[in-house]
Amino acid sequence: MNRSQIHTLLLSAFAIVVALIAASSLPASAQDAKQPYSTMAPVEQYLMDRDAEIALARSAAPDAISNDASVIVLTRHGYETAVEGKNGWVCWVGRGWMGMFDHPEFWNPKVRAADCLNPPAARTVLPYAYKRTELLLAGHSKQEVIAAIKAAIDKKELPPLEPGTVSYMMSKSSYLTDNGDHNGPHLMFFQTDKNDTAWAANLTNSPVLSVNYWYISAEAYPQLKAFPQLSVFLVGVDKWSDGTPAHACSSAK
Amino acid sequence: MLKKKVAAIAFKGFALLAALGSALLGMGNQAMAQDATMPYPKMAPIDQYLMADQDAEIALAQSAAPESISRDAEVQVLRRLGFETAVKGKNGFVCIVERSWTSAPDADFWNPKVRTPICYNAAGARSLLPRNIKRTNLILTGRTKAEVDETIVAAVDKKELPAMEPGAMCYMMSKQGYGGDSVAHWPSHVMFFYSQTDPATWGANLPGSPILAMSDDHEHLTEFAIGVQHWSDGTEAG
Repeated sequence: MNRSQIHTLLLSAFAIVVALIAASSLPASAQDAKQPYSTMAPVEQYLMDRDAEIALARSAAPDAISNDASVIVLTRHGYETAVEGKNGWVCWVGRGWMGMFDHPEFWNPKVRAADCLNPPAARTVLPYAYKRTELLLAGHSKQEVIAAIKAAIDKKELPPLEPGTVSYMMSKSSYLTDNGDHNGPHLMFFQTDKNDTAWAANLTNSPVLSVNYWYISAEAYPQLKAFPQLSVFLVGVDKWSDGTPAHACSSAK
Repeated sequence: MLKKKVAAIAFKGFALLAALGSALLGMGNQAMAQDATMPYPKMAPIDQYLMADQDAEIALAQSAAPESISRDAEVQVLRRLGFETAVKGKNGFVCIVERSWTSAPDADFWNPKVRTPICYNAAGARSLLPRNIKRTNLILTGRTKAEVDETIVAAVDKKELPAMEPGAMCYMMSKQGYGGDSVAHWPSHVMFFYSQTDPATWGANLPGSPILAMSDDHEHLTEFAIGVQHWSDGTEAG
């Protein structure tokens, strides 16, 4: 996977990261005009066969990890535990709304982002996903969801990020975005660094990319500026979770 | 025990990282009996560890990370009494060519040919680099490996050497350098440093995992390595 492809993924609607560095330079109105997914689709379009969802979720990480992981699946009202694990990891399939609030594919019903979170991430990242998903499925607007999450953070109902969070997104079967090849194996790391340069991400030829967890540009939802700093760092890997090689690398640009 | 386990895993299936795993396994600072068959049983004359051409050492150090990072990094070069700053930086990164005693498998501990370019980010430069600087200083004053290990561990325990900061990491993406006789050329990779963390927390060292880890119980240090697909100059890594 070359840098451009990784970037495409990072700029796409896949769970949790979903960035749009390139588009971040566009005014929000320009982005809205191009958005093919301006509203939520019927909820059925986001749901999956339960067994297929469990299998897809597990495919995010090698068997050595996902076989013993808990698996959560999406229902009409939110995520629920389908398999109780024993290693502290949680595998799941993120939907488009786990992307940044102003991401163009936020409501893309095709997005299926298989993801396995390590124990610190399961404890401190997943609760945000639960909250967001439940509120959106209950019909709340993005503005309402943002306000509710902020209130929950302020009341410490949502936890601060633990150090050492890692997420595996190595499934061959994910659909992360309408762009490019739709998919690519990678690892993600969550950090509270206020400055993305801490890891020298996004610089020319750097293998590390990073985005803000909450937004591409705070223009559309300025209240997100008051949220705790949360950056997502991404490192591409050269194999899928089943050990097969990902498509050939090309020169990084 | 951990080393044996990791070795078995590394050599079973991690094509890209097998060599790296092998090298990492030898990087532990636990005191180990010197094997009689070791090709480098003692320290060579100091001159053999130095690079006569300072510009070449600076260039090699900078090759550890993409130019977009290393051009603004501080660069340190090795002198007879330790590392000295040769280039002042402005982005917090520090690039350095580490020698065998900090960056090679045990069999190559005294191998004077080892040259390992590394660029630490600011957190790594503040937390892990001081250990390697101190180790180097001790080595250059004639201490034995066992004495150095003991001193480093004691300094860590007494907090004279810092714990790992959150986000401490480094780039090791140079096409050049020499990792040692057993792993001459390390794969392009990045590393992350934590104070004593269970490798399983990151899913490291498990079959199929792209992450390798080495824990040093004595130094309360866990290092995670992830292979990357390009060299620092942007060309495709093998």
